[in-house]
Amino acid sequence: MRLVQEGHPRAFELLYDRHGGAAFSLAYRMVGNRVTAEDVSQEAFLSIWRSKARYQPDRGSVRTWVLGIVHHRAIDALRRNLVHEKRRSSAEGIEERHEAPEREQTDVEAARREEARHVRDALENLPEEQTRVIELAYFGGFSHSQIAEMLQMPIGTVKGRMRLGLEKLRKGLKEKVA
Amino acid sequence: MSVERHELLQEDVGAYLLGALEESERDRFEAHLNECPVCSDEADLLRTAVQALPRSVMPVPSPAGLKTSLMAVVQAEVRERDRASARRFRPVAWTTERLKRSAAALGRRPGLAMAAASVVLLAGVVTGAAGLYAIETATDEQPQRQASSRTIVAKFDKTRVPLGSGSLVLPPDRENGAVLRVHGLRPLEQGSVYQVWLKRGGETISQSLFTVGEDGDGAAAVADDLEGADAVVVTREPAGGAKAPSENSILTVAL
Repeated sequence: MRLVQEGHPRAFELLYDRHGGAAFSLAYRMVGNRVTAEDVSQEAFLSIWRSKARYQPDRGSVRTWVLGIVHHRAIDALRRNLVHEKRRSSAEGIEERHEAPEREQTDVEAARREEARHVRDALENLPEEQTRVIELAYFGGFSHSQIAEMLQMPIGTVKGRMRLGLEKLRKGLKEKVA
Repeated sequence: MSVERHELLQEDVGAYLLGALEESERDRFEAHLNECPVCSDEADLLRTAVQALPRSVMPVPSPAGLKTSLMAVVQAEVRERDRASARRFRPVAWTTERLKRSAAALGRRPGLAMAAASVVLLAGVVTGAAGLYAIETATDEQPQRQASSRTIVAKFDKTRVPLGSGSLVLPPDRENGAVLRVHGLRPLEQGSVYQVWLKRGGETISQSLFTVGEDGDGAAAVADDLEGADAVVVTREPAGGAKAPSENSILTVAL
């Protein structure tokens, strides 16, 4: 990471090789089309390259940091594009929309799929209404008041479900690791 | 910190971590986090759950062209950085040469020639004694303007097309359409094309579809009469083209 921050292109390329796939997958999951996902991924990595963004090891792994930047960029894209409007009319856009086609997998890909299954299992073990508000907020970029309007429930209920859901998810992930 | 305030705000922690609070609420909650160790500890705990969410996404293959175009931008910026660095730190000898030429040009004016010769001498002494590099202060030559009466440079959305360049070449009489030439565009995935549109008044009229090669170069025709038109724009659309632009244009040629 130090070399990336000093502007070494080869180090940056390695960073992309390691995290570009996860970044694109997250962007695609959020924006729902490959062209916009490509824009989001490119913007995120260029912002890392140009700003020599400060990675702080005490705040999580490099992957968590990169995906956090991608998430912010995808939210920006959702809010500035019509994508949000199109998806608002139908909840299908928020659900997991894509299973990658079966193909030959590398060990790294297999490990990522396993990790994804592990987190998804924990997420799916939550009560459905908690999973729903969490996914709408995180992957859909909707505010609590928008979610309350969409699901026709009080804002306080939405906030409560988010808090409870995250707490249960945290415990679920911890149990799986233990 | 008051208990009432804590009770009022503690429920916001999940929405805060998920980015779902409105801006004013977020500011209020962040101020509360600074003074409430209970909420601050809870936020630290729940943050691990939020950070796990992107890992629940099943990997999808990323487009091969993405890395190529990203690294092309990076390499271009490295080259520009190196050029800028070389411009700033050129050897004094280079500057001395320039001064000598200036002195020669001033040779017909004895007073100025003497002053210039002194500068050359001083520069030579500095070079020999310390081998220092001098900061080049002369302005670079301005890029040559290529504008002609029949070529209009396209303006690109640099966020989405960082390396894009191109122009619209108009025939002598605008009634015979024009040709749009582009460089540095990303080759699109199968199933997508670039679409050219002509804007006139409130209307947006499709003109043609095109793709670009691996080198990012492409060309397309603007068939309609350009007389009275406002702009030519390009968007990315599904194969076969769209009836109306589905995104903001990636390039615009204002007419």
